[in-house]
Amino acid sequence: MSKEETLDKLIQTIINGDEAEAKKITEDALAAGMDPLDMVKQGAVKAMNIIGEKWRRFEMFLSHVMLAADAMKSVMAVLLPKITAEQKSKFSLGRVVLGTVSGDIHDIGKNLVGTLLSVAGFEVHDIGVDIQSKDFIQKAKELNADIIAMSCLLSTSMYFQKDIIQYLKDAGLRKQYYVIVGGGPVTADWTTEIGADGWGKYADDAATVCKKLVTGGVRPPLPKPILIGE
Amino acid sequence: MSVQALLDVLDRAHTGPVCSVKDWDTKVIPEKVSEKLSEHGLKGTCTPENPINTEDSLADEFWHAGFELAVDVGMLCLDTERVIKFTEEELKEAIRNAPSEVILGEGLDKVLMKARKPEDKTLPLYCAPIGIEASEDLWIPLIQGIAQHRVIDMMQGCSLRTVLGRPLRSGTPYETLAGRVQAQMHREALWRAGRPGMCATSVITSPTVYGQLGGYGVPGGYRTSDLALVLSPAELKTSYASLHKVVHAINCGGLIFAGSSSVIGGYAGPVEGSTVAMVACALLQIAVHQSGWGSCSVIDMRYNGNCGRDAQWAISVAFQGIARNSRLLTQSVLNQVGGPCTDMLLYESAVGMMNLSASGISFSIGPRSAGGKYANYISPLECKFCAEVFKSSAGMKRSEVSELAKLLIPKYEDKLRNPPKGKSFTECFDLKTLRPTKEWLDIYLKVKNELIDLGVPLE
Repeated sequence: MSKEETLDKLIQTIINGDEAEAKKITEDALAAGMDPLDMVKQGAVKAMNIIGEKWRRFEMFLSHVMLAADAMKSVMAVLLPKITAEQKSKFSLGRVVLGTVSGDIHDIGKNLVGTLLSVAGFEVHDIGVDIQSKDFIQKAKELNADIIAMSCLLSTSMYFQKDIIQYLKDAGLRKQYYVIVGGGPVTADWTTEIGADGWGKYADDAATVCKKLVTGGVRPPLPKPILIGE
Repeated sequence: MSVQALLDVLDRAHTGPVCSVKDWDTKVIPEKVSEKLSEHGLKGTCTPENPINTEDSLADEFWHAGFELAVDVGMLCLDTERVIKFTEEELKEAIRNAPSEVILGEGLDKVLMKARKPEDKTLPLYCAPIGIEASEDLWIPLIQGIAQHRVIDMMQGCSLRTVLGRPLRSGTPYETLAGRVQAQMHREALWRAGRPGMCATSVITSPTVYGQLGGYGVPGGYRTSDLALVLSPAELKTSYASLHKVVHAINCGGLIFAGSSSVIGGYAGPVEGSTVAMVACALLQIAVHQSGWGSCSVIDMRYNGNCGRDAQWAISVAFQGIARNSRLLTQSVLNQVGGPCTDMLLYESAVGMMNLSASGISFSIGPRSAGGKYANYISPLECKFCAEVFKSSAGMKRSEVSELAKLLIPKYEDKLRNPPKGKSFTECFDLKTLRPTKEWLDIYLKVKNELIDLGVPLE
């Protein structure tokens, strides 16, 4: 199989959401001598762009996009150890700890944000729903995350977003993490009030917000949050 | 409601087939929904150019697909990661045993809810508003202002974000306290409006189980003649929080109102997938949560509402299917995104309420003004408008409603993703008289007269 054929097959397998097969193709290609950086740039990244476009056109739906993102993650797990830190920084945009805050078990918005961030090139660690404030921070520390992302559909759980930011300040950790918030009742005003760094009106704004944060050259906390779709 | 049926559900939540949430969301639901769509020839049947379904055979086919989906997949318990399943006969029996009519409320405020067919002249009931957050200081005048309109039959009330001035964090003792505090405010508002026996759907400020435990069936709380609200996440999931609410309602001798929403573009996939899931969801609310009726709504994740063409089509097909093939009471929710004091909110409401009424729904809760996104962005006038359109369109032909929808949807569909926020309760209402401002009243009269000119039989 030529290099082009291998990459096409890899792209299609990622889009199909076949995690095991995508991993196998990647391992076989590496064993056959293919350049891992080429596989990232011309395989995984291309697949991510196609998935993102299909989502935007509503040709792929949430379950399918989640499976495709998982397949892409399995490919990256094989490729990342094979490339240098400098090369990695060119396409890995940052590490995100994502969850739905305490008292709230809604997951659709959170899953969509996580998937679209993965597709956009972020390394996403989804820690689930109904997550205690301390668990967000513990995970962010453990992973040396760049961004803490908090989802919330219930107005009565929004306070936990505020609590986490306050805890980060009190513990002297606020400068280590960008914090973004989102969800049904979460508004631009609330984002500003609690001192978060970013917010998007829709789930698909999250990638834009995060890209602006990590490429903006300003360390957290931002003097004014990035607000998309206000 | 039966303790034996409850025990069966609780036992199955512990002994049913194991399934992780991830597998449920990414494999079980999408694969089974897709299979049902294929088996019944339903893929690609949505007709956005005709947003209200008029084909009985299509509605019937979605009913059959939804029933089969309910039997094939059941409902996942998130806490145990086990599936609560029913045989075909068990599900049929649950549907047979569900009521076809029920009296709600007390005294002079009693109302009769009846099962309806598509194009039925029987009046549906309207419950307002849908849990939009309101400040404690505005809560009573707002609810009083809504209850003063006799065209509104039942009251859900608004959610609280503070309780006695303290931040209300879900799952904490503040929430338990909020259940009782909200019940007291609710009673006060209805008394002021002269409608003390009006049925409530309660407790809306209960994101976890604690608000319900603190506020429903306790001395000074919501009465057992009020409905105990049990909401669960999409798709086809329940949790111990929901099941606790069911048990608590049964302990109190109350009537359960359980519901959920399907999501277009979510785990069930395209609009046709969500439609099948809606039917299954409505049926499983009865079997799993012992709901008095089949209740489900739909959200289009592209704009977090349901007044666009696809979502309206899904609502029409799903509920026509249920109404034509059963004698169940049914409930659904309209999720507008335009804010108070905008004509967009009223156009969305007009399309949605006519659709729900003509498609055979027994009752509806709403409105979700401004998408329910902003505190105090709800006013009594749009509640009254929704109830007026809902009831006046009872008996309208689906074909008439479809033609009207085709005229009205273009007035707002381009703004669904970026709708006008409108004005808050205090900006568009006089709090002393509980009357709308001239600006808001003029918008209301303009749209209402426009609908009358188009043939909607509004008074």
